[in-house]
Amino acid sequence: MTEPEFFSPEWAAAVRDALASGPPEPDRAGKLAMYWDFFDKVKAGYTSSWALGCRDLPAGTPAALFIQWGGGTVTDCRVTGPGDQQPATYVLGMDYADWRALHDGYDPQRTVMYRKILVEEGNILEFFKAIYFFTECLAVIGKVPAGFRALAAH
Amino acid sequence: MAERKSPTAVLHEGPRALSDQQVRQIEGADLKEVLDVDIDDVIEYVHKDMRSLPDYTTLYRKYLKQRWDVYDLDFSQDKIDWTEKMTEPERQSFLAIASGFHHGERQVEIELPVFMIGAGEEEKLHISAQIEDEARHTVFFDRFYREVVGLQGDDIMAILDASFPWVSETFVGPFGLLAYQADEVRRNPYDERARVRYGTTYFLWIEGVLALSVMKVTLSYARWRGFLPAYYTGFTATCRDESRHVQGGMKYLQDAVRKDPAMIKEIHETLRTILILAGVASREVIYEPLGWTQDEVRMLMFQQLGRKLNDVGISLPPDLQAMVGSVQPVLAGG
Repeated sequence: MTEPEFFSPEWAAAVRDALASGPPEPDRAGKLAMYWDFFDKVKAGYTSSWALGCRDLPAGTPAALFIQWGGGTVTDCRVTGPGDQQPATYVLGMDYADWRALHDGYDPQRTVMYRKILVEEGNILEFFKAIYFFTECLAVIGKVPAGFRALAAH
Repeated sequence: MAERKSPTAVLHEGPRALSDQQVRQIEGADLKEVLDVDIDDVIEYVHKDMRSLPDYTTLYRKYLKQRWDVYDLDFSQDKIDWTEKMTEPERQSFLAIASGFHHGERQVEIELPVFMIGAGEEEKLHISAQIEDEARHTVFFDRFYREVVGLQGDDIMAILDASFPWVSETFVGPFGLLAYQADEVRRNPYDERARVRYGTTYFLWIEGVLALSVMKVTLSYARWRGFLPAYYTGFTATCRDESRHVQGGMKYLQDAVRKDPAMIKEIHETLRTILILAGVASREVIYEPLGWTQDEVRMLMFQQLGRKLNDVGISLPPDLQAMVGSVQPVLAGG
């Protein structure tokens, strides 16, 4: 079975399933129950949406992965382009190379701390109230199989 | 390091009164003499001028006199202590705490330059000195992890990569927030509300609470056991540097609130986010090998936060006061 192309509809569908399931048990092991209680509580009540952008897709047009949360799960997850952008609570951006690094196992916390992904629109203090939830979701997204084309532009 | 007082003794003794002679000793000690300075006195020294904060030029002049050369430290005895005298539980506990500082120093070094853009001219002098301090502290930890702990790497980032497994997942709370607030300030360097939010995270929480707490835990352990003399010397000198950073940061927040009382809302909203994050831990850190318990570390953090808020004149609404009680003792700093 071939991997879905990064930022393709098939990849977005796989991300949706992975986020709805949440971090697998092996990833939960080693962290305190208190931490996962916090994660689960945020997930259960989260109603915000993220537009996770890729600034320099090889296709040449910027795109975003739109994720809407509600009812303790993902209610919408799809790739949007310049013509069909969905207003999101938080608009974030990351370069293609950093998306690929995340997929290859780069740490999601340092992806945030080193500003590889940045909030471009949205209230930062509100966003950070759920930062542990966000970084764990970023880890989940990074583990969804994806095919990355050669980055010709770089 | 003749004195062998229990690491937690100061928690029960309360604030110390420093004599003029002690203040002169702390302020004037060169790097070799810092080994004889009691870390509890240095932490007290951080608070000495909090009620009448020194101006930025005074802080800059202190920097010029107190600057030390991180390459003058000799870690050879520390290496012996680390490998031959300390137990494995002591080493693991030490690393679980110190690694947050290893990464924290790097973070506060690189996030500070943008704050200088919107600062006054004298404050710019102080901030530029602080950036150099933080760079030196980053090198201090890089040397400690290479020469004492034994991590290997070609450059500073390689050593950071190697120590990252000891860093708690919740580190991203305050330090990720600082990174994003720095980006907010970068985009709008003269937005005073954004600067106050940034200053609350950086100066009040990371430097005023987290940093001083982790310094106290590892340094009082080293002093109590008579171990790690170069670590004690360099990190106590770092603590003296932090006194200028905390005083400058508290002056900034105090001036901002005096100029515009509405700024207190920005401080409260930032603390609300920070305290939500600080109420969660992802790993259990065992403090007992270093002479501490979780409750004592928590008490230490309460004391540090309470003293900053009281001295600078910032009161907390009841909901934030209640959140302070839930803070988990996850230690990091910068």
